[in-house]
Order: sequence, then structure tokens, then C-alpha cells
Amino acid sequence: MNGGAETRTATVEDPQFADSVTTTSGRTGSTAYLAEVWVNFKRWNRKALRNPFIVVGSVVQPVVFLLLFSEVFGGVVGATIGDAAGVGYLTFLVPAIVIQVALIAASSSGIGLVNDIENGMFEKVLVTPMRRSAVFVGKTLSEMIRVAVQGTLIVVLGVLLGATIETGVLGALAMLGVAVLFSVWFTAFSNVLALVTRDQESTIIGANLLTFPLLFVSSAFLPIESLPGWMQVVARLNPITYGVDATRTLMIEGWNWSALAPDLAVLVGLDVVFGAVAVFMLTRASSARV
Amino acid sequence: MQPVSATTSSPAETPRRAAIRADGVSVTYASGTEAVKNVSLTVPEGEFFGFLGPNGAGKTTTIKALVTLLDPTGGAVTVNGFDARRDRRALRGSIGYMAQETSIDLELTARENVRFACEAYGVPRGERTARIDDLLALVDLADVADDQAKTYSGGMKKRLDVATALVHRPPLVFLDEPTTGLDPKARNRLWEYFRRINEEGTTVFLTTQYLEEADQLCDRLAVIDDGRIVAEGTPAELKARVGGDVLSVDLVDADAVTVERAERVVRESGLLDGEGVVSRTDTGLSVTSQRARRVGTDLLVALRDAGILVEGFEVHSPTLDDVFLAITGVPAGERVAGANATTGAGR
Repeated sequence: MNGGAETRTATVEDPQFADSVTTTSGRTGSTAYLAEVWVNFKRWNRKALRNPFIVVGSVVQPVVFLLLFSEVFGGVVGATIGDAAGVGYLTFLVPAIVIQVALIAASSSGIGLVNDIENGMFEKVLVTPMRRSAVFVGKTLSEMIRVAVQGTLIVVLGVLLGATIETGVLGALAMLGVAVLFSVWFTAFSNVLALVTRDQESTIIGANLLTFPLLFVSSAFLPIESLPGWMQVVARLNPITYGVDATRTLMIEGWNWSALAPDLAVLVGLDVVFGAVAVFMLTRASSARV
Repeated sequence: MQPVSATTSSPAETPRRAAIRADGVSVTYASGTEAVKNVSLTVPEGEFFGFLGPNGAGKTTTIKALVTLLDPTGGAVTVNGFDARRDRRALRGSIGYMAQETSIDLELTARENVRFACEAYGVPRGERTARIDDLLALVDLADVADDQAKTYSGGMKKRLDVATALVHRPPLVFLDEPTTGLDPKARNRLWEYFRRINEEGTTVFLTTQYLEEADQLCDRLAVIDDGRIVAEGTPAELKARVGGDVLSVDLVDADAVTVERAERVVRESGLLDGEGVVSRTDTGLSVTSQRARRVGTDLLVALRDAGILVEGFEVHSPTLDDVFLAITGVPAGERVAGANATTGAGR
């Protein structure tokens, strides 16, 4: 066996070779970047529409939560909470369910990526000249549309059941904006989980392991003050609390910017950090040292 | 952008620019596995280059290092004049890549898959529709262009995969075992496409474990085994390395004891005059010798006289199966999983 053999054939040096090669990757600037985002955004939206079960299925659980919690939980603690907040339990609950919808939609984002990894599309995308961040942003924007649609469904259902929105229609839209903002960090987290595990079951289990504890150790279903002492500490560190508090401020208090601003700042910070990690992981996906 | 530097040249060839140049490329995974060890190769523009090796030899890892899907842990790669570390985006825009596993979005239609590739590679908007139609016609999917890809057969999916890899008309295409798992008809159709794009000037880098495929398509080959390139040359040159014709003997009882005895009989017969190679195969023996045609009958008689029953025999010019056997010392059928299905390797 000739261990030292290497393939050598006659070639000639051409300093202008690269310049003469037809490459389609010459797109530069913000327009090109947006075009790359748009390409990915379209693909993921198209896939979502082809699979309505995911869109419909992931909204069923929050709807059930809304109905069950408002009926069962509301009867037990609703009066206390309602009195404290000055509103009915349903009005208290709707912001939490809107954030829950965002959380569930975001948690399933990684499953799509694992599918891509399994059917080879992930590599196909990575080997194109598209920027990794544009790939991530396009996919995330598509998830945001889903969050907004599902959030709208919850808000409309809540209003139909008797919930009131202090800030009106504009506030309802702002609530959806908060939900979308909230969804980004968990979408990024779910995608990171997918890139690390490269396995559907692990991605689902990993996301679910966090989803429910995070929901219950937060201000979602009960005021923080009513939680046990240690839980209050965790709840104040829990991103869900900031999402729920911001939407609840809009739902119950109005345009209270001194309450909204810190919550939104935390969400933006989380989005930037987790988004950066996701893009880093996407870039690192082409390293042998993974 | 760095220019491609010159490599060794032969006066017999007209020098061309190097579409691919790899210098001492090594890939060691985090687990410590050395998948590719100091691989160097140069592929000139317009060549149909075959990268041949058994499963796990390092073919796919090498191709991934060349297309920037893996960062080599050592060495340097230049493709189409672009450095694989510094000019990644430009490099990616200048190549087509078809992975070993079919890589299409099953939820999209063929037309949508090709359009996605068009947009991802920045094909000018005005050219997209015509190019999509042309490509879908080329791969015979025009009639089902608006059906979701998940309804396609394996061969149709592969053909769609080819279309998405060619959509931006790259000057260089990497094909990683493109016909693995396909039936002969589907494989032949893909071979036609590959030949056609190569004739039109596209450089093709093909990895395969099918010796017949490499023999049929490639201008030049490199054989990789255990992460190292162990041979290179044209198919004819590699066959010449075998050193003669090949007598394949199938035994009625091909158990280890009988085969060993048969091997001893052939070696001790004196008929090979001290030259030639005797190797064991799944079904008997392979005798490679300049004298194989002349003494073949006498060898069979020697085996019969020793009480070893011969089921069949064949004398033929060396094939790449024989090259593989000569280079690696192991029959291709034992190293190349699935090769028997399409090439008859291993007999």
C-alpha cells in the first residue's frame, strides 16, 4: 500500500482565476442580506402552510389552558386575584396564555431544524453562499408570524369570553408584539438545542423540560407574591415573568412605560444573547471540532 | 483572493488551471478519529475526477472539507481560486454540491425546491423561471414539477437533487456518491447528466464506491483508504498497475481451508514462474499474472489433480475491482459495501 501517494496533475497558475470564475455570491449590502432573509422566510412559511397540523395543533393546548384555567382555577383563586388586580381572572390569564402560545411555538422551532438536518436540507443551505445569520433570521421571522397568528387567536377568544384590554386594539397589537419579541430567545434556544442534539426526541424533551417549570415558576398563572419564597426568587429571574408582565401591563394597566420599559429591555437583551449563540452554533456547524 | 499556485506538470498534458487544490488536508474529529490524513490532490478545470474508496475510507469527509462544510484541522484548500478559510462565501457561490443523502425539502414541490436553490444562489430574477423549466426538463421532472417531493421515488428525488445542485451553473460540481442505492436504470440516467455537464465544461468531482461508475465516467481517479490516498491515475493507468490479466476461479467449496489449500497448490505449481499475485476472494481465488491467459488451463488442471473442485473460472483484463484488490490487499466486495449489487464486484 502506498501511504504517501497524492494526486498531482498538470495545472497552471492564474492569479486572476478567482476573478474569472462565475460566482453567484457577489451579492453584498443590506438589500442582498434582506433577500437572503426573505428566501428562508418564504421557505419556512411555505412548509408551515403545508403542515397545518403543527399550526393548529400547537394552539390547541393554550386554548384548552385558557378555558380550563379560567373555569377551574378562576373559580378557586379568581376572586382573590381579580380583586387584587381589579379585573376578572380571565383578563389576568389571557396575557399568560399569549406568552404560553409564544413559548410552545418557539419550542417547536428546533424540530424543523432537526428535520432539515435529517433530510439533508441543512447541509444544502450551509453550502450556499447565504449568510448564516440570514438563514437564522429568516427562519425566526417565520416562527414570529406563527406566534402572531396564534396570539391573535387567543386574544380574540379571550375578548369573546369576556376579557377586557385596557389599551384597546392598539394595545392588543402591542401585546402580540411583546409575544413575538418574547418568542425570539426561546426560538434561538430551541434551535441551539437542535444543533447540539441533532435529534428530534431530544430537542422536544429538552424544550418541554424547560417549558412547564418555566411557566409555573413565573407570574403567568398566579401573582409572584403568592408563590413560596424561593419560587419568587426564581420567578424574578425567569424570562417568562418579563413577557407576561409586559403583556399584562398592556392588558390591565395601560401604557405604563415605566413598567413596560424594563420588561422589554430584558426581552431584547435575551433575544440578542440567544440569537448570537444560535448564529455562532450555525457557523460552528462546519467545524470538525464540534 | 489568493491565486492558485502551480503544481507539478507533465509535458504530456496541456496545463490547465487547478479547479481544486488540497495540500496536506487532515481532518481529526473532536472524538479523536482521524478521518482524513494528509491528503493532497489537484484537479484541473474540466476534468471528471473520481474519488474512490470503501465505506469509511474518508471520501465524504474529504469532500466536506473541500466544499467548506468541515474545517480541516490541518492543511489548505483552494477551490476555483478561492481559499476555503478566507473566501468561503465566494467559494460556495462557485460550486455545486450534491450530498450523499438526498438533500431536498420533501414538503416543497420540485419547482419550489429548484426556485429556492435559484434564490439561495442569487440567480438573477429574470432568468429564474426559464432556468427552472430547463432544469426540470433536463432531469425529466417537468410533468411532476408541481407535486410535493415527498411523493417522488428515490430516483426522482436524486434527479431533483441534481437539478438543485446545478441551478446556478457552477463551473465545478461535487457529487458525493450520487447513485448509491439507485436501480441501474436511474443510475444510467444520472450518468448521462453527469457526462453531459462535463462535456459542456463543468469540472466534476465524484466520490463513489462503485468501481464500474468510476471506470465509466472518470478521466482520472484517486483511491482513498483509511483516510490516505493510496493510488492515483487514469483508470487505464491504475489497471496497468495490477500487472497482468486476472484469472478468477470459483470453487465448489469456498471454505477457508479449501481456499487456503487451493492457494498453496497454485503457488507451488511453478506455473507462474515466480511472478504474479494470488489472492483469496469470497468465492475462491484471484490470480493476477502476465501469464494468466497462457497458464490458466494448466492451473485449473493442477487444482483438479489436487482434488479441489472448480465451479467456474474467467480470465479477463484487470478491472478496477482488481485494482482495488491489488492496492489494498482486500477484495473490493469485502470493503465496498453494496458494490456487488451494481457492479458484480467480488463475484
